[in-house]
Amino acid sequence: MALSRREFLKASAAAVAFAAAGASVLNPKVSEAGDAGIKWGKAPCRFCGTGCGVLVGVKGGKIVATKGDPAAPVNRGLNCIKGYFLSKVLYGKDRLTKPLIRKGDKMVEASWDEAMTLIASKFKESIAKHGPDSVAMYGSGQWTVFEGYAALKLFKGGIGTNNIEPNARLCMASAVTGFMTTFASDEPMGCYDDLDLGDTYFLWGANMAECHPVLFSRMIDNRLKNPDVRIIDFGTRRTRTSQMADQYVRFNPQTDLALLNAIAHVIIKEKLYDEKFIKKHVVFKKGKENIGYGLEDKFKFTDDPKPISFDDYKKFLEKYTPEYASKLSGVPAAKIVELARLYADKKRKVNSLWTMGFNQHVRGTWVNNLVYNVHLLTGKISRPGENPMSLTGQPSACGTAREVGTFTHRLPADMVVTNPEHRAKAAEIWGIDVKRIPDKPTYNATEMFRALDRGDIKVLWSQVTNPFQSLPHLNRYRKGARKGDGRFVIVSDIYPTKSTEVADVILPSASWVEKEGFFGNAERRGQQWFKMVDAPGEAKSDLWQTMELARRLGHGNLFPYKYAEKEIFEEYRKFTVGGKDLAPYEAYVKARGLRWPVVNGKETLWRYAEGHDPYVKAGEGVKFYKNKKDDGRAVIWARPYEPAAESPDKQYPFWLCTGRVLEHWHTGTMTGRVPEIKRAYPAAVCEMHPDDAKRMGIKNLQKVKITSRRGTIILPVDLNGRGKAEKGNIFVAFFDETKLINELCIDAYCPISGEPDYKKCAVKVEKA
Amino acid sequence: MPVSGVVISCLVGCSEAVSGRIAAFDGVEVHGVLPDNQIVAVIEADTVDAEVKLVSQLHEVEDVVSVRLAYHNFEDL
Repeated sequence: MALSRREFLKASAAAVAFAAAGASVLNPKVSEAGDAGIKWGKAPCRFCGTGCGVLVGVKGGKIVATKGDPAAPVNRGLNCIKGYFLSKVLYGKDRLTKPLIRKGDKMVEASWDEAMTLIASKFKESIAKHGPDSVAMYGSGQWTVFEGYAALKLFKGGIGTNNIEPNARLCMASAVTGFMTTFASDEPMGCYDDLDLGDTYFLWGANMAECHPVLFSRMIDNRLKNPDVRIIDFGTRRTRTSQMADQYVRFNPQTDLALLNAIAHVIIKEKLYDEKFIKKHVVFKKGKENIGYGLEDKFKFTDDPKPISFDDYKKFLEKYTPEYASKLSGVPAAKIVELARLYADKKRKVNSLWTMGFNQHVRGTWVNNLVYNVHLLTGKISRPGENPMSLTGQPSACGTAREVGTFTHRLPADMVVTNPEHRAKAAEIWGIDVKRIPDKPTYNATEMFRALDRGDIKVLWSQVTNPFQSLPHLNRYRKGARKGDGRFVIVSDIYPTKSTEVADVILPSASWVEKEGFFGNAERRGQQWFKMVDAPGEAKSDLWQTMELARRLGHGNLFPYKYAEKEIFEEYRKFTVGGKDLAPYEAYVKARGLRWPVVNGKETLWRYAEGHDPYVKAGEGVKFYKNKKDDGRAVIWARPYEPAAESPDKQYPFWLCTGRVLEHWHTGTMTGRVPEIKRAYPAAVCEMHPDDAKRMGIKNLQKVKITSRRGTIILPVDLNGRGKAEKGNIFVAFFDETKLINELCIDAYCPISGEPDYKKCAVKVEKA
Repeated sequence: MPVSGVVISCLVGCSEAVSGRIAAFDGVEVHGVLPDNQIVAVIEADTVDAEVKLVSQLHEVEDVVSVRLAYHNFEDL
C-alpha cells in the first residue's frame, strides 16, 4: 500500500530522531522520501548563545522544515523547544515589510529612498548643530559579525563618535570586565567539551535547564553515564535546574560575594590551594572599591587598582569565615565548608557555570572575579574538563558585541579606544586618519538612554533589539524618547515591538537565513551561513541599511565592497591575527564552526593550556599570556561583599527578580507572535512563595499589585509554577510586552561593567 | 499540520514508565524506547503553538529529564 505524504513525514521525523538519539534508522528509504523536494542548508540557531547547529529545509522559496544538525558538535542533532519557533521567526503575519515614517501619531508607509533621506538629514543636522556625540547606534548581540563591524566602523571610523553600544551591555558586560580584569582577554578558556569531561559542576545564578537546555542536557547525559558527577545549583529561586541538581543551595540575593569569599577562606585556612600554581601563574590585586551603584548620571571612578601580596589577600579573607557568610547568605556554615572542600578536591574536575545571576549584578565584575579566584587558588583552570565558564544569552553576544567590540570603549579583538596603539592599528586597517577615532568612551547602554532623555543625544538608531521593553526603569526612557526637541529615534526590526512604538522611522529588516550571516557563540565558536530565502516585501539586512546611511553621509569610501559579507570578514580578521585568530572565511563555509584561536587550520579547545593553545610554549604548562603587564599571570582580586543598590525594607519588603522562561526568548518579539490565549506560556505571572501568600491571604492565580519606587504592575500570582520563589522573593519573566515588569526595576548597575542589576530591587505586593 | 520528531531523555531506569505516561497524550506517538534511557516520539498538532504546548507538557511528566527536537516539518502551514 502506498504511504501518504503525511506518513512519509512522520517516518522522516521518527528516523531523524532515532539517528539523533544514536540508534540506527529502521527504514532509511521511507524517511528519505519525506525529504523529497527539500533543499537543506546549515545555520546556527537564531535564538540563544549556545550556538546549536540547525539544518534549514527550503522548498518553493520558503522554509518548510528544520532539523537539529547531526554534524554540529554543539548539539549533535538535537535542538531545544525553541527550535519549534524557528518555523515562525520569519513568517509571523505582522512582519514588517515596508519602511514607515511617523506623521503625527501615525506611521505611514514610505519608500527606502524617502526613509533613508530623512534619516541621513537628521544625522547631518544633529552632527552639524550638536557634534558627532549627539548621534548614536544601539545594536545587539543578535547582529551578525558583518552588521556589528559595519556599524562600529561607520560610527567610530566615519562619523567620529564612540556612541555605539550593544544590548549585550545588559547581559554580558560584567562577564567581559571580569575576563578583562582577571586575564586581560575577553572570552572563556574552556569550551562545551568540559560539560562532557568534568565531574563537578557549580551553577551560580543560572537556570540552565530552561535557558540553556541543550548544554544542560549534555551535562545531564554526562551524569547518566557517570554516577560520580555532581551538580550543585546555587540560586535564589528554585527552578527546573534545582530539581535536577544533586544539591540546591539557596542563598539571599547579593550574598554570592560573601559566599565565594568564604569558599576561598576555607580553601586558604585548610591549605587546600595549589601553591605551585599560585606562585607561577597568579598575582594579587585590590582596588576600585568606592564605586557606588551607577545611579548618578556621569559617574567617575576615584581610585585605581593596586598590587597586594598573597598574605594581604589572606588577611582580607580573614573576615569571611563560613559563619560570617552564613549570617549574610542563609547558607549553613557547615555547607559552605563542605562545598569549599568539594571545589578544592584534587580528585575532582570542577567547573563553574553562570549567567545573568552573576552578570546582572551591581557588583557583576567583582563576582566574576571571585569565581575566578576560586579556580585560580585551586589551579582548576585551563585544563580539559575543569574550567570556569560564563554562558551567553544571545547568538552573537560573543562573536559580534564582544569580539568585534561594538561597545563605546572598544575596538575589535580586545582593543580599546583609550589606547593610542590600538587606535593607530584600527585607523591603519580602515585607511583613515587616526584622529578620526575619538580617544574617550562616551556612554554605556543605560547612560546612552539617559543621554537621550536629557537631550544630549538627539538621534538614536536601534537595530535588532528592543530597548524600550528591555531597559530597567523603563518609564524614564520611554518618555525620554518622545520628548521632542529634536530627538529622533530609528528602529530596525522584523516585527512591531514596544520600541517601534516610540520610533520616528521604522525600517523592515531581513532576518536569519534571509541574509548571509556569521555568529560567534559562548565557546568561541564562529559559525557562518548563507542566505537561503528572500526577505518579505522590501525588508533589507541591517548591513545594507548601515552601509546605505554611510553612503548618504559621505562615508561610502569605508565600505568599498563587492561581496560585502566576505570582504568585511576578511578585513575584520586582520584585527584578530596574533591572538584571537579567526580562520579564513572559506574555512567557516565548510566547517560546523571553529573555536578561535584558529592557527594553521587548527581550532583551540582550551586557551592558555600547553598542547592546546598554540601561543603557550612547551614547558609552560599554563600561561595567561594575554596579561602582559602582569608577566603572563592572572589576577586574584580582593573584592569585598557589599549590599545591593536597593534592599527590601518595611515599605517595600520583597526582593523582585526578573528573568526568562523555557518557552520564550527575551522580550518575546520572535516567540510571542501568537494570540495570548494560544501560547504555551501565555502571560507573565508573579511567582511567590506559598507561605508568603498564605500570610497575606493571597490565593493561587489571584491578582496582586506589585509596586516599586519606580512603577506598578498587576499580575496573577503563581504558587505552583515551574519556578518557585523563595520566601521574601518574587520572580516575574520579562517576555510579556503587555506587562512591562522592567518599569519596576532599578537602573542601578555595576559601575565597572555598566551592566544593570535586573535581579534585585525592592517591591511591595498587595491584593489587587 | 506540523510534524516533529523528538528525543525524550528520562531518569535512569524510567524510560518504560515514562513511555506509558506519554502515550496517553493526544498527538504523541511513541516510536521507540531505547536502552539508554531515551524515547523517540513523533508529535502531531494543528499548529506549531499546539506542538509547543504538548512538548511543554511532556517536560513536566514525571521522570522526564529533557525533550529535544530532532526534526520539524511545517510545510503545509
